[in-house]
Amino acid sequence: MRRTLRVAQREFLATVVTKGFVLGVLVTPLLIGLALVALPAMINEEAPRVVGEVAVVDPTGSLAERVRSLLRPEALVERREETQRRIREATPEGLSGLAGGAAAGDEVMERMLGEVPDLAVTTLPPGVDLEAEKEALKTEPVGEERARLALVVIEPGALPEAAEGGAGLDAEPSGASPLAGELGAYSFFVREKLDDRVEGEIRDAVGTAIVDGRLERAGLDRQLVERLTHVARVRSVTVSEGGEQVTQEVLNVLLPAGFMILLLVSVMTGGQQLMTTTVEEKSSRVVEVLLSALSPMELMTGKILGQMGVGFVVLALYAALGLSALISFAFLGLVDPLLFVYLVLFYVIAYLIVGSLMAAIGAAVNELREAQALMTPVMILVMIPWILWLPISRDPNSMFATITSFVPPLNCFVMLLRLTSTSPPPAWQVWISLGIGALGVWLALKAAAKVFRVGLLLHGKPPSLATLVRWVRMA
Amino acid sequence: MHSPAIALSGLVKSFGSKIAVDHLDLTIPRGGLVGLLGPNGAGKTTTLRIVLAVLFADSGRVEVLGESSALAAKDRIGYLPEERGLYRKMKVSSFLRFMGRLKGLDGPSLETGVKEWLERVALSEVAEQRCEELSKGMQQKIQFVAAVLHEPELLILDEPFSGLDPVNRRLMKDLILQLHGAGTTVVFSTHVMFQAEEICDHIVLIDRGRKVLDDSLDGIRRRFDPRSLLFEPLDADLAPEILEAVGGVTGVEREGARWLVRLAEGTDPSRCMRSILEVADAARLELHRPTLEDVFVEIVTRGREEEARRVRERLAADGGNGGGPVR
Repeated sequence: MRRTLRVAQREFLATVVTKGFVLGVLVTPLLIGLALVALPAMINEEAPRVVGEVAVVDPTGSLAERVRSLLRPEALVERREETQRRIREATPEGLSGLAGGAAAGDEVMERMLGEVPDLAVTTLPPGVDLEAEKEALKTEPVGEERARLALVVIEPGALPEAAEGGAGLDAEPSGASPLAGELGAYSFFVREKLDDRVEGEIRDAVGTAIVDGRLERAGLDRQLVERLTHVARVRSVTVSEGGEQVTQEVLNVLLPAGFMILLLVSVMTGGQQLMTTTVEEKSSRVVEVLLSALSPMELMTGKILGQMGVGFVVLALYAALGLSALISFAFLGLVDPLLFVYLVLFYVIAYLIVGSLMAAIGAAVNELREAQALMTPVMILVMIPWILWLPISRDPNSMFATITSFVPPLNCFVMLLRLTSTSPPPAWQVWISLGIGALGVWLALKAAAKVFRVGLLLHGKPPSLATLVRWVRMA
Repeated sequence: MHSPAIALSGLVKSFGSKIAVDHLDLTIPRGGLVGLLGPNGAGKTTTLRIVLAVLFADSGRVEVLGESSALAAKDRIGYLPEERGLYRKMKVSSFLRFMGRLKGLDGPSLETGVKEWLERVALSEVAEQRCEELSKGMQQKIQFVAAVLHEPELLILDEPFSGLDPVNRRLMKDLILQLHGAGTTVVFSTHVMFQAEEICDHIVLIDRGRKVLDDSLDGIRRRFDPRSLLFEPLDADLAPEILEAVGGVTGVEREGARWLVRLAEGTDPSRCMRSILEVADAARLELHRPTLEDVFVEIVTRGREEEARRVRERLAADGGNGGGPVR
């Protein structure tokens, strides 16, 4: 035991007290945080104000005017404000807090949309030579002339025939209703490299103009239609034993994801390091010196324990980051402290299984390059939780979720997803999952110990997966 | 302390179809300084690894320092493997402390041990350097220190002199002799015979996994006395026939400037030497003592010839049977 702990201690310190680890583990989250802060500033690309001409070929005679008024700067500003209001409304509670409050959100939006463009609308008669007009999209403006940014060709059938008496909707269905059949749209030609935001705004304006025109033809009042078709988005209220509360949509998605990522990152950090240091010890031949002082089992156990500590550091660090985020958004009360206990328990199980596989692989190969082929099954094992994430968090108590809860090492990830979901599994399932996990650990350690013992002093051709299996069975 | 340092009996170890150790019996008494010799691939390293419980034998019995496995006596054994390695990024002193702790040392005795041993191998100044900064010879000395830091009862050295310059080779030899003088049992393997000849008091020769010789150095010399004289004439033009005429001489072989004078069974070498000096002036005349290398080459060649003969006989026998009518 003494030797095992010495090895664990060395393994831990040799990994944690390195520039690489400190940079990788501490600096990465800092960089992510920094990026989140810096992102809005980076989006602010200070593009110059777009100035130009939009030509509209309008066979209806009324739409070009509407487009013109909709593309006035004031109108553009108004529509932008309307969009922002709708986004705010659709944003779940909490996320607006995450983004730094509504005001900050609007600011970001404004930056993202860029400065309001200055667009002049020119109306062209229906019979105009389209090819000649398109040429203007290619040429550069001369002197004071505005560059043509877009050419909109409205189709004659864009508006329905004017209904008599202005009551199109009351017309007999069997009669020749002006609303029967497909209505026309428009063709849209733009200059090369036109800012997509401006393009979007023109498209918006033309679309709105056509709809307005159609409503008017049909004798309808736009505001009335909007009022009639708009239903306010409501927030769901989760009803549970503990009472009613507004559903925390963001938290419901982020919490399972957060716990699963925590588990994955810490398991993989420890596992990867374990493999690397084992390969290093083997290739630098220090391993035989070590084996003269302790048994292969002591060496492996020590290394696994040491790297488990490394994984714990990562887990604790990122969990602390996550916790502080929860505290700052006042979500802390919504997270059951017991979840952290389960996180640790499942971490130990998942790490020990993945870790022993990694140690075995490290012992079997001569250099890191050769480890890649053997790593594939482990990597698949680790990737599966990502695939499972959505189906399981949507339906945490499905048959599929229940079955995978008892297959180590997947059970660790699946159970955490289920435990952090809105409908956690019954306690007996958790305990059985933990028990099966422990059994998995025992088997993985036993198999790994055999490969470790055989592989450690073997140099030469790297073994295949089949060879490893043979080692496990014969040793 | 009555049990031998190492006792192996009927040891067998094979890797796939290759038999590395073939029914090896070996006893090394406490306090001995034993050289384990053999050509490359003879099974020396495998034998030592089995003794250390780094590898496990397919069959046979191992007893080390009175224990049935080296695992129970690891703290009393020091080992310098042939394949040497250090933690490259670790400081020399940290590495030695780590190895010392694995061997059960701690506290002030560990600190003074590390300091004293670094002084003994003249490497005090590199204590705070990283292992990767050291030259190969320095690294080897650090590994030697790691093997002896805990004052083991049994010290096993696999090719301890390989890669060392003459100065360090002498230092290593002196250290081994000092440890042996202090009562440590030392077993070392080498395929360079004269190194073993220089320091060992007992030799074990292994060839293709089998023990072919196990004797004291003196015993070997007595056993393999080829009964010949080494003669170098003062006059380079001397004809060998003159010596062949001397009583008791059966033949003369020229090996460059040296002549090897073979004596008949029962001839007294000193009387023969006097007779030779009567007929020829000698620049050099001495009793020819076989080197370990001679013994080694002779045994190995003889062994292989014998085996070849057996194989030939067997083939001949098979051929005789095979030639019979097919039923």
